[in-house]
Amino acid sequence: MKNPYIPEKAMIEDFRDETPDTRTFRIRILSQRGSKGFQFSPGQFIELTVFGYGEAPFSISGKVDDCSLEITVRRIGTVTRALFKKKVGDIVGIRGPFGRGWPVEKLHGKDTLIIAGGLGLAPLRSLIQHIMENRKSFGRVILLYGARTPMDLLYKEEIKEWRGFIEVHLTVDRGDESWRGRVGVVTVLFDEISVDPQNTIALQCGPPIMMHFVSKKLKQLGFPDENIYLSLERLMKCGMGFCGKCTVSGTYVCLYGPVFCYSEIRGFVEKIPEAGV
Amino acid sequence: MNRDTYKIDREGLRTLIGYMIREYRVIGPVMRGGSVSFERIGDPSALLLNYRGKALLPVKKFFLPPREVLFEYEILNGDVKIKDRLSASPPEKTILFGVRACDIAGLEIMKKTFSRHFEDPYVLSRLENTIVIGVMCDAALPTCFCYQADTGPLPRGGFDMFLVPLDDYYLVDVGSRKGMEIVLGNKDLFSRASPGDIALRDSKVRELIEAMKKSNTPRLSTLYDTLIKSYESDLWSDYAENCLSCGKCNFACPTCYCFDVHDEVDLSLKRGARVREWDSCHFLSFTRVASGEIFRKDRSSRIKQRIYHKLVYSVNDIGIISCVGCGRCIEVCPTSIDLREVMRRIMGVRAL
Repeated sequence: MKNPYIPEKAMIEDFRDETPDTRTFRIRILSQRGSKGFQFSPGQFIELTVFGYGEAPFSISGKVDDCSLEITVRRIGTVTRALFKKKVGDIVGIRGPFGRGWPVEKLHGKDTLIIAGGLGLAPLRSLIQHIMENRKSFGRVILLYGARTPMDLLYKEEIKEWRGFIEVHLTVDRGDESWRGRVGVVTVLFDEISVDPQNTIALQCGPPIMMHFVSKKLKQLGFPDENIYLSLERLMKCGMGFCGKCTVSGTYVCLYGPVFCYSEIRGFVEKIPEAGV
Repeated sequence: MNRDTYKIDREGLRTLIGYMIREYRVIGPVMRGGSVSFERIGDPSALLLNYRGKALLPVKKFFLPPREVLFEYEILNGDVKIKDRLSASPPEKTILFGVRACDIAGLEIMKKTFSRHFEDPYVLSRLENTIVIGVMCDAALPTCFCYQADTGPLPRGGFDMFLVPLDDYYLVDVGSRKGMEIVLGNKDLFSRASPGDIALRDSKVRELIEAMKKSNTPRLSTLYDTLIKSYESDLWSDYAENCLSCGKCNFACPTCYCFDVHDEVDLSLKRGARVREWDSCHFLSFTRVASGEIFRKDRSSRIKQRIYHKLVYSVNDIGIISCVGCGRCIEVCPTSIDLREVMRRIMGVRAL
């Protein structure tokens, strides 16, 4: 029996700062995974070990090649603080990928409305990359993205490039002298767009309070439950459906999520803030 | 079942256990500090062939220990060397003697949980290397409700041998090939049970069931739909008033398996170990994520988490209820919250 608790060795290949407290790390798997390399679908997550500190779950924010992936990390806890001290070439541990990602197949031929708040853009970036690579398979793609301040916007340079492929709308909670764009929570951006709820799949990731209001908004606009997807943030400690810490209404977010269809969430016995009711 | 029913006398059982101790790690009930506890048996005379009720702590501690090192690592010149604890010390061949039907059901639930999507090699390899020899209770304790949980007094499966104490001998049900091998390997100690022996056993089982029926606890399998409709019921706030969120019910439960994982590192920061430790869904910290968000802030939401896990979520997840009716949560609760009372209120029935 292979021991699924043992991490594979991986190396920090590169990193770049996104914001003062957020950094994107490029991580290369060192072990042999055969010719298949590291396969994942956008929206899945990994468990990352910083040896000497611990392990924590991170959504995969991008693909580099068959052996490298990217994660975008906010310096907030023990493991992330330790990770920020790591240099290029340092060894970390990795397990995964785990969970169920965005419903990529279902988006084919449909319009896609992506709503992200803060660091919630990270698991959607790998989807946006996939859409850009296979642009013809997808209809209209709109991104609504909100951050606390202009400084907190992730992937600022990349977003310029995304604009060539998808529609991008930005807002910040608090602007600064140089900010000319919208101010307000992400739901203010809904007045800039017009979508056909029957033919559009909405995908959202952000703080629970944001998803609460976005879910409400989407329902007001007439989105059917089956056309709404959310990525839930919970404490996926083991990633394998054992430790019990990530469950929502008895459903293991690490196994059946982090991406859930709104129709599943509406069926939960335990009420969660993201459901918007 | 009668086809494989044997009997063994008290002396014969002592002899058999003596043989087993030479070949296996034998875990069984002993008296410790005035209560029954499952421990590794060195001296066969310390083993309780029978005892009243059940041990305070269930046998899950041998399969999912309260605290366990998963692996160790060493950081060497920029590289890391990982040492798997499991391959370094694989589980010993074990005989688990004297375990009750409720706890046997608990082990079955552990086995299902730790093998359903991924395989937990620690828990599963210990279970696989264990021969389970159960013993039926002599009497039902006032807190027992295995009958209503459909796990006892006779086990529904999951044992290699199951003994029912009758006067000065035991009736032996064989539940597996391994159990049969024990009988065949010690033929002189066993004899065939007679229809009279089996009738005696059945009357003892009825006696236990009658005793448990007195609590008027609803059959646990009938609660599913009503619980789903009762999530917003006012009764939960009554229990939230009393519950101290101490987690004792989790730790005493044969099927509570949730755990936390953290690294323990020595002062040099060069050597560390990944450790898992029992956790409790009653603790506020249980659902706290790095951003500080806590998803079950209300005490009632945490009370519901445990009860719904046992009676609703578990049915969705592994196909069966995961309360085995052992009553330990009732015994250990410092504020006398009685799960049977919760279930009676849900179903709108009174205690007799």
